[in-house]
Amino acid sequence: MRNDSDLQATGRWAGLRRSPQRMTGLTLVVVVAVFALVFPMTTSTGYLLSTGVVILNYALLATGWNFMGGFTGYISLGHAAYFGLGCYTTAILIDRVELSWWLALALTPVIVGLIAVPIGIAALRVRGASFVIVTIAFVLILLLVSQSWVSLTGGSTGIMIPRPFDGLTRVEHHRVFYYIFVAALVLALFVWWRIDRSRFGMGLKAVREDEDKARALGVPTFWAKLIAFVWSAVFTSLAGGLYALWFGDLDPVFQFSILMGAYMVLMALLGGVRELYGPVVGAIVVGLSIEFFKAEFGDTQFHLVATGLLLAVVVLFMPEGVIPAVRGLFTRFGPQASSIREETAEQLAARQDAVGATTPGSES
Amino acid sequence: MSSALLLQSLILGILLGGLYALLAAGLTLYFGVMRVVMIAHSAFLILAGYLAWFFTVTTGWDPLISLVITVPVFFGLGVAVQRLLMTRLKPASLTMMSVLLTFAIALVIEGMLGFTFTGVQRRIKLDYGAASIELFGAQVAVVKLVAFGLAVLALGALWLVLKKTSFGQALRATIQHKEAAELVGVDTAKVASYGFGLGLATAAVGGTALALDATIYPSLHWHWIGPLFAIIVVGGLGSIPGAAIAAMLLGITQSLLQVPLGTTWAQTVFYLALFVTLIVRPQGFFGGRLAQRF
Amino acid sequence: MSTGSGVTLEVHGLSKSFGGVKAVDDATVEFLPGKINALIGPNGSGKTTFFNCVTRMIKADSGTVTLAGKDVTRSTPDRIARLGLGRSFQVCRIFPRMTVMENMLVAVRNPTVSALWRGAHDPEQLERARGWLRRVGIDHLEHAEARNISYGQQKLLELAGVLMADPEIVMLDEPAGGVNPALIGRISTLIRELNAEGRTFIVVEHNMDMVMSLSDHVFVFDRGRPIAAGPPAEVQSDPRVLEAYLGV
Repeated sequence: MRNDSDLQATGRWAGLRRSPQRMTGLTLVVVVAVFALVFPMTTSTGYLLSTGVVILNYALLATGWNFMGGFTGYISLGHAAYFGLGCYTTAILIDRVELSWWLALALTPVIVGLIAVPIGIAALRVRGASFVIVTIAFVLILLLVSQSWVSLTGGSTGIMIPRPFDGLTRVEHHRVFYYIFVAALVLALFVWWRIDRSRFGMGLKAVREDEDKARALGVPTFWAKLIAFVWSAVFTSLAGGLYALWFGDLDPVFQFSILMGAYMVLMALLGGVRELYGPVVGAIVVGLSIEFFKAEFGDTQFHLVATGLLLAVVVLFMPEGVIPAVRGLFTRFGPQASSIREETAEQLAARQDAVGATTPGSES
Repeated sequence: MSSALLLQSLILGILLGGLYALLAAGLTLYFGVMRVVMIAHSAFLILAGYLAWFFTVTTGWDPLISLVITVPVFFGLGVAVQRLLMTRLKPASLTMMSVLLTFAIALVIEGMLGFTFTGVQRRIKLDYGAASIELFGAQVAVVKLVAFGLAVLALGALWLVLKKTSFGQALRATIQHKEAAELVGVDTAKVASYGFGLGLATAAVGGTALALDATIYPSLHWHWIGPLFAIIVVGGLGSIPGAAIAAMLLGITQSLLQVPLGTTWAQTVFYLALFVTLIVRPQGFFGGRLAQRF
Repeated sequence: MSTGSGVTLEVHGLSKSFGGVKAVDDATVEFLPGKINALIGPNGSGKTTFFNCVTRMIKADSGTVTLAGKDVTRSTPDRIARLGLGRSFQVCRIFPRMTVMENMLVAVRNPTVSALWRGAHDPEQLERARGWLRRVGIDHLEHAEARNISYGQQKLLELAGVLMADPEIVMLDEPAGGVNPALIGRISTLIRELNAEGRTFIVVEHNMDMVMSLSDHVFVFDRGRPIAAGPPAEVQSDPRVLEAYLGV
């Protein structure tokens, strides 16, 4: 009778039982993780390694974005702001303040996190459309400022960051950063996972579903959103700091680019914002596509068109993302095929008298 | 600042404000009728600018004549975008998803422009391009006056449509209270698509006016999104008069600040106004009622 | 279980107008602590707006709200909830894309850092949530997504979710709205039991049978303010009430 607990794939509380899907998912994660860890050892092609670093950077950015977008449903199109701030904070701490690279990198998320507090307070006063506008505006402001404040940022001539590790070849440099990025990504995923399972995470997801109802239940929504916002800025800026150290050369146009913010949204959405690994999956798919387009079509504007079309397709036809879609296929064709619908329908008759249930929407 | 310079800046500010008002009017329309934030509005502006430029280059005629083609085409495009794309989005997540969808449209437009016309900066060559006349002792470029005149005409036409036609009434009713409008027999779906078309038609006029006096390139639209959104938020989302007042005020302020601060820093006035509005009065200064917490 | 049978809720001179229409007009109500209070009145008499103003979901134009001796007129909805005032909504509101159990774990009466950080998979909390689900009779649906359960079950889930925060005062906006008679009986019994344990109830309801059999004290609303109050039997025969309802 009580077999209804092992078929809800979406129920994270089914944790005690190991459903077949869960095992499949876990196996997949392990396989991908092992491949990701072994891959840099097997190649000394600089291009492959640097592509790996770029995709890891995207994965970290998209996961960082998902602290806000995924939990609370507040879609920020301007998260490039925190990426750029991360880049420039690290660069300025090294180049102007002359800190060591690791201290600069460690301070970056702290500083950007602090900057995010007042920004969050202003942006989170509004919902929906206005929030998106504010996030876009913030990138545009930072772009203006970073281009104009030449004494600090070097303006359009940019700023150079010396390589942190002496005596490494280019390939070794990529390889070292590959693993640093992996470590940062694992950290970000761990924190996301922890929040996802916490009472705090429940509050955030409630905000995503129905903010006013969440408030009525006593969730301090403003603080919850602000904390998510700051976490989001912290990990996004960490990606920025690492990028600055890895790439070594910054330009406002690339660091504060709206397109970068759009990539983050696209990646997270494509993979699935409710999923721990959603942004990573999205980053792999989109990252590889971007690299492919750049390699194939060079500097033409085709990658913009492709990004735009992909975003439109995801928004129109797959707003839940790839992972839930694939899981849906599994549920439908898997051996344990059955749905919640059927279960409740079957129980409905039996419980009708006891619970007095009516079908959704039939009344009221 | 000398008084002559002040006057000059003031006049330029008013001319600029008029153009802003037209450009922001469309954005306000989309939001009013559909609660949709149309990121692609400024991309359509640049598209219209390119079409005007291309028209002049190929025919040698005045770019204003291109409006005969672009205005109806943009209207139709707007109706199509609304009917074919916007209505596919789920109402529950319409606001957020429409942002992303129109963002995608903006990317596609920018990419196509770059692909078709390359990234080279373009400028329409006009006989009267360098001419200027004296106005209250200030030198004002003729093209700026033409652009302003165009903006005033288009806004006037928009006002007439909204105030004097039955469609305009239905549209205003929909903006004010959609459910109530439906109750009195307004076909709000139709109104929404025509409203969208109307918004894009203003983009055609605005883009052409813009291109008279500016160098255009595919990614230019990003520079317009911020100021335009600032204007509609300050004015109160969904309020056309509010947007017009905000546009005028911000246009003049920007123009006045340009002398002491330079072009780049003067632009920050928009963002400053945006943040101040959100902190002090999120529903906007001149719109009120409607926008509350959107 | 709740110990706060003495928590008071007093509303003085509350007003709210939309445009030119006064939805709530200088309403003064002192709810009886520890009792089942009912709010009745014809459609459009301002009951739900009154509810929303008291819980600050809507900002009132004027008036004061005092909860457990604290002035909460300028407070936020979430703070009011944490002070012990839980509420449901007229059209049932649950979190559709979360599981039933996740819905239960949203409400936190005392959001300390450690409670928020550990909470969700804390066996004690899970057991508490299961207890409430069992009590409303939907514990078998623990892992189902809330959007997939029936409307009646969603209503029970909403109630259980509110109770999870252990509120001293429970405000229910049409608990019998849109559900079948069997379920109405079940909800009535539940309210009576919970009241016996010391919780104050404030119920907006159109179902007169339910109101009359359930409540200890009835406030009759008309045109945005209470026009009569008293025990059900007394109110039922009050000429002003008849006038308001029948327009005599």
